[in-house]
Amino acid sequence: MFKKIMKGANRKASKAEANDSSMYGFDPPGRSGPGSNMIVNHASRGSLVPSSPNSMAAATTQPPPMYSVEPLPLFRDVSVSERQSLFLRKLQICCFQFDFTDTLKNAREKEIKRQTLLELVDFIQSGAGKLTEVCQEEMVKMISVNIFRCLPPASHENTGQEPADLEEEEPYLEPSWPHLQLIYELLLRYIVPSDTDTKVAKRYIDHSFVLRLLELFETEDPREREYLKTILHRIYGKFMVHRPFIRKAMNHIFYRFIYETERHSGIGELLEILGSIINGFALPMKEEHKLFLIRALIPLHKPKPIAMYHQQLSYCIVQFVEKDYKLADTVIRGLLKFWPVTNCTKEVLFLGELEEVLEATQTVEFQRCMVPLFQQIARCLSSSNFQVAERALFLWNNEHVVGLIAQNRGVILPIIFASLEKNIESHWNQAVHGLSANIKRMFMEMDPELFEECQQQYEEKQAKSKQVEEQRQNRWRRLDEAVEEREREDPMITS
Amino acid sequence: MAMVDEPLYPIAVLIDELKNDDIQLRLNSIRRLSTIARALGEERTRKELIPFLSENSDDDDEVLLAMAEELGVFIPFVGGIEFAHVLLPPLESLCTVEETCVREKAVESLCKIGSQMKENDLVESFVPLVKRLAGGEWFAARVSACGIFHVAYQGCTDVLKTELRATYSQLCKDDMPMVRRAAASNLGKFATTVESTFLIAEIMTMFDDLTKDDQDSVRLLAVEGCAALGKLLEPQDCVARILPVIVNFSQDKSWRVRYMVANQLYELCEAVGPDCTRTDLVPAYVRLLRDNEAEVRIAAAGKVTKFCRLLNPELAIQHILPCVKELSSDSSQHVRSALASVIMGMAPILGKDSTIEHLLPIFLSLLKDEFPDVRLNIISKLDQVNQVIGIDLLSQSLLPAIVELAEDRHWRVRLAIIEYVPLLASQLGIGFFDDKLGALCMQWLQDKVYSIREAAANNLKRLAEEFGPEWAMQHLVPQVLDMVNNPHYLHRMMVLRAISLMAPVMGSEITCSKFLPVVVEASKDRVPNIKFNVAKLLQSLIPIVDQSVVDKTIRQCLVDLSEDPDVDVRYFANQALNSIDGSTAAQS
Repeated sequence: MFKKIMKGANRKASKAEANDSSMYGFDPPGRSGPGSNMIVNHASRGSLVPSSPNSMAAATTQPPPMYSVEPLPLFRDVSVSERQSLFLRKLQICCFQFDFTDTLKNAREKEIKRQTLLELVDFIQSGAGKLTEVCQEEMVKMISVNIFRCLPPASHENTGQEPADLEEEEPYLEPSWPHLQLIYELLLRYIVPSDTDTKVAKRYIDHSFVLRLLELFETEDPREREYLKTILHRIYGKFMVHRPFIRKAMNHIFYRFIYETERHSGIGELLEILGSIINGFALPMKEEHKLFLIRALIPLHKPKPIAMYHQQLSYCIVQFVEKDYKLADTVIRGLLKFWPVTNCTKEVLFLGELEEVLEATQTVEFQRCMVPLFQQIARCLSSSNFQVAERALFLWNNEHVVGLIAQNRGVILPIIFASLEKNIESHWNQAVHGLSANIKRMFMEMDPELFEECQQQYEEKQAKSKQVEEQRQNRWRRLDEAVEEREREDPMITS
Repeated sequence: MAMVDEPLYPIAVLIDELKNDDIQLRLNSIRRLSTIARALGEERTRKELIPFLSENSDDDDEVLLAMAEELGVFIPFVGGIEFAHVLLPPLESLCTVEETCVREKAVESLCKIGSQMKENDLVESFVPLVKRLAGGEWFAARVSACGIFHVAYQGCTDVLKTELRATYSQLCKDDMPMVRRAAASNLGKFATTVESTFLIAEIMTMFDDLTKDDQDSVRLLAVEGCAALGKLLEPQDCVARILPVIVNFSQDKSWRVRYMVANQLYELCEAVGPDCTRTDLVPAYVRLLRDNEAEVRIAAAGKVTKFCRLLNPELAIQHILPCVKELSSDSSQHVRSALASVIMGMAPILGKDSTIEHLLPIFLSLLKDEFPDVRLNIISKLDQVNQVIGIDLLSQSLLPAIVELAEDRHWRVRLAIIEYVPLLASQLGIGFFDDKLGALCMQWLQDKVYSIREAAANNLKRLAEEFGPEWAMQHLVPQVLDMVNNPHYLHRMMVLRAISLMAPVMGSEITCSKFLPVVVEASKDRVPNIKFNVAKLLQSLIPIVDQSVVDKTIRQCLVDLSEDPDVDVRYFANQALNSIDGSTAAQS
């Protein structure tokens, strides 16, 4: 598929060179002087000729190709029978692309294209005539030519621009948005209506189209991502045949993000779509979906920029557990595996998500993971960052969680006892201090005997801790001695 | 105590530590694996320790990473090369971990081990491992596999080689882009081990597939392979197979691909030979120099000298120079800056006449650039410039630029220019320096930024070295010593700093006659920081001056300071006194 596009692009370029410049309404690409900011001739910027390579071949059914942007009559000014062919001609106008870095350049042509796009959107919207297959095909081609472009360097990799003030992180805004928005609008109105026949449309909205649509999620323009989200979601809903393919392609994006780049602007939007997909999963859940949870969603907790998409991620995760509570311990162990070590902001997010998961967790699954879970919670409880400690202490405000803890207090209290005690003894933050004392009292009232026991264990352990450390040092020292001794006996080993 | 009698089981120590909740302790114990192995001896390491580690791949990634690294140097502890194969199973399981750094480290260690293994061991254990990983169900295994083919291939039989090539070609077509990316980035390495007959027939087919991948990210990595593959092929094959690809890539719709090409193009010139360079690569390069995307132009501009070095001067003047001229007024300062950092290298290529005719105007306009980095990049290549255009022409245009940079509001720019002053001085000569730069050097000594003042003091030392003590006596010392009465204590401190740096260069006589009185005077300053710096400075002067001066002047001054009310002053004074006593003791 790609090969075909490349060939198309090359053909385009050569065609542009072959044509005399007088045939254009304005400068052809690649002819401009070095000082001008006219589009330079390479494939990433579209040439100014209609870009579908097949348009020549299909010329018999179509009006002749156009080489300039001139206004066409309005739909309402022509007879119904002529509207489809007018539609095609309007599509051709919209295949022209313009340089938006200079607002004054081709201002007239830009305005004509914008008006034409508006009309096309209206035309589709009004359902004024069901589109023929040719029209559909050409329209999707026009859309592809416009939206599938190589995204400009992202802000983090763009060394060629003036260093922007890092304080005010203004989102990047696509300069060609006045056109782009209308094109997305057109695509949306093509896909959404129930009378669009998916059997026909899937020929044009094919795998390659979907794949390239997914690649666009990396755009830094939030407006564009919003459109993409809506459109992809509709495609997923409407084109059943594409569903497995879309899920797979999304997975690949996630893997690359997690294991290779840790950069992607559209993870939140993709997860938002998935949130509603997961919502619709049938029970019992397919193995594929569970694997997706384990291999993509849980590892998504690892990348540094998690704050950008945590809300959506957490929603997906909780959906899974609410659908199938048996997944709870898998999810909790997963969270533990990726638990942040030094990043406190991230840790607070994890604790919030954990609480939501615990809400949906039943006793059996809880018992399967409670030991490592409360070892982690114990560390959070005595964190010197008060927000982390406080967030962990707030778990005891949740009735369901407290129920689970009470039920298993014999295991849990010995694990967290030391942390509570340390907080009460020496935590710098007053709130943490108070909350810890409350929880301590809660346990004391719940099970005085157990509490007494833990208290005793704690004191013993405190007393012995120095000894244990000495013992450890001692063992390593003796190991070193053993090595020395051995090698003195048999000096060959050290070779 | 009881624990003294406890018998020592090295492996039990390890197991115990690895079970600890504290990750730091687990890490420490892994870091000491070699100690455990040495305590165990080779045989028990093979039979007990390694199997234990193979099963222990469920720990935190950080622990696994440490383990992957340690195992890479473990051959001596298992009994040498013939037992190296026992290390493969634990590393194999680390190759299937999801975390990228663990996998990469495991692959690195496997390569280290594999490259030392004997041929039949390779065939018996390493090659099967590669095949298992390549057929792994999860992408992690297959990605890891891509990185060890080159090690396996070298030492094995023809049948196995055929099989390995076929497997690699499968990986290049893998369903997952992650795997294809790994295959693309390792193809060059693998190709170097493959016999030339199969290069064209098989490796190039894989390469072609990768260059047509529908994912940008894969094609991007394939470009990186172009130069490596090009060097392996015969020139005519390179022209037939690589050249079209690279020319195509130079017009790829993705700027990232074009960026890669811009970075790599010059490396291909040699591989394809001068004719094709002229007909194909020069036009491609010119396109990249005029690319619409600033990132691509930055990459291309940075290679302009390397590229021109491969061309004859006429070609460079005819095709590249016009682009260079455009780039020198590019809208992006970073493009101009990239150009400025390499453009002087073009002078020797073009020769003196062409340089003066074509390059000098560009050079002068960059020297007047509004962006300080651009100017700085030019000045930093000053020696090259001087050789070509001569000092007179240079000094006229250079001076305004230098003066402006010396007062730039970014202190890093000022710092950079100070560091070039000694070079400038040596190139321009004493006369030029006295007129123009002398005042600047003194001005920097009173800069508001400490790093600049420090660099300025250091600069004085280097100038004294360059022009000799006599010159320094005339042009530097009086000005510096004048500053000792400055009302600001930080500036008075700079005098001390400058003295401590210059004294070794100026020698004993000047130090005693000029510096020492000033220092002794400064010991009576009202600011304690000055006083303890005097103490430190005096200590550094001890080896420079005569023993009699030490006894007569320095010691007395230090004794006075050692009775100062300030504790720090007393501390440093006593330290200096001790070092006098130390050196006297050593001499006697």
